[in-house]
Amino acid sequence: MLKAHIIKKRRELQVNVSLELEAGAALGLFGASGAGKSTVLACIAGIEEPDDGYVQLNGLQLFPPSLLLHRRPLGYLTQEPGLFPHLSVGENITFGISKELASTAGQQQWIATLRDRLQLAPLWNAPASLISGGQARRVSLARMLARRPALVLLDEPFAGLDRQLVRELIDDLVLWAQTIGFSMIAVDHQAEVLKRLCPQKAIVLEQGTIVQRGSWSELYKAPATPLLESLLAPL
Amino acid sequence: MSIQSKWIARSGAALFALALLYPFTALLARIGPWQWGADVRGPALSSVRVSLVLTGCAMLVIVAVGTPVAAYIARCSTRERLWWQAILLVPILLPPLALGILLTLAFGPYGSVGAALEHLGIRMTNTPAAFIMTQVYVGMGYYVLGAVAAFDAVPVILQKQAALLGLPPVKVFLRITLPLSRLGLAVALSIAWVRAIGEFGAVVVTAYYPSGMPVQLWVNLQSFGLPAVMPLLVVFLTVALPLPWLVHVLAQRKRHA
Repeated sequence: MLKAHIIKKRRELQVNVSLELEAGAALGLFGASGAGKSTVLACIAGIEEPDDGYVQLNGLQLFPPSLLLHRRPLGYLTQEPGLFPHLSVGENITFGISKELASTAGQQQWIATLRDRLQLAPLWNAPASLISGGQARRVSLARMLARRPALVLLDEPFAGLDRQLVRELIDDLVLWAQTIGFSMIAVDHQAEVLKRLCPQKAIVLEQGTIVQRGSWSELYKAPATPLLESLLAPL
Repeated sequence: MSIQSKWIARSGAALFALALLYPFTALLARIGPWQWGADVRGPALSSVRVSLVLTGCAMLVIVAVGTPVAAYIARCSTRERLWWQAILLVPILLPPLALGILLTLAFGPYGSVGAALEHLGIRMTNTPAAFIMTQVYVGMGYYVLGAVAAFDAVPVILQKQAALLGLPPVKVFLRITLPLSRLGLAVALSIAWVRAIGEFGAVVVTAYYPSGMPVQLWVNLQSFGLPAVMPLLVVFLTVALPLPWLVHVLAQRKRHA
């Protein structure tokens, strides 16, 4: 279970958000650009340090004090794939896996599943610096999931991808969230992406604070602010 | 770029190269037959050996000490980093002769560290240790400043991603930071090498013996005149140039890979 209260001062706003997430559940963080969604995610991941508050994951204190990044059992995916350009696709995906773990049958099976499902077999030995943007997103997703994290943090990881690929990746993520049992927090400013990824629960942020929590149907039925109503309205 | 403007640019670059290499036409100056007899050749080859081996040792020290220091500075706050950079600039800015004098006073028998070392049997004037120490002081600033720039060029998010994938800081450095900055580090090292192997002003004060190539050039000039300088100059260029040039060849290859 994730329990977090993030307080982080930004130049233009102060983020002050508290949230709880059951193990295996998915939560969508929704709001306009600059609402503080990515800051919340980065603070939970440890990429940024909150000014105050706390973050606990399954009883493990992530903050305060700030737990070293390599001790955090979580995966963090952004729209920037962040592949290691000097390594091959295969080396990127197996990067964080110890030799002992890599040699187990279960892990090998899992890597093979990721490779096949995300259609990475033909790219396996290709340099990561030479693959396309869409392929890079698939590789970074596989790399994050290869370690079977307890919590997956997604910061607009599908921005700029074609709709078909986005649908496939979301379906894969939802399926693996059920099979592996990881919790998931996703950030996006497109409601339809978040609804598909985190169909049960959403939190809406405006100016760094939560303006509404609930199911998507509740959000659509009674949006708490005019901005939210406008964000949810069809084009 | 059109073919015409490309040729204009190339001609400009060629003129620049000619101007840069112009002093080397003096190798063809009428100074009489070059001297490469036994009395010149023996000390000259010895100086080549001294320069290559001891500069190599100095580079090992520079890399071993300078790399972790540069990694630290690259992660400092801007304010702290400016202080470190100012400190690194001091030995670079100092006229080499002045640096040599300061090193002799500090590490010679009258300096506290020098006296302590001498007590341990390590003499820091006119010894291989003095030669290496001087070259370390001469080249360290160049290497560290270059290495900081190389580490800066590695995106921080890649290092953080590697950490989030379970790698402790040392392994992140070895598996991500170092490989991604290796070309920048190699260029920094080549600059330190060029600076150190050609150093005369500081070395002539601290380590006249064992004579490296720059000091031997001076000795040849004093003892035999220009005809004994020219062949050693050619030898110097032949042995000192390949390493830094090779680094640039490798960097070029990597860029076009």
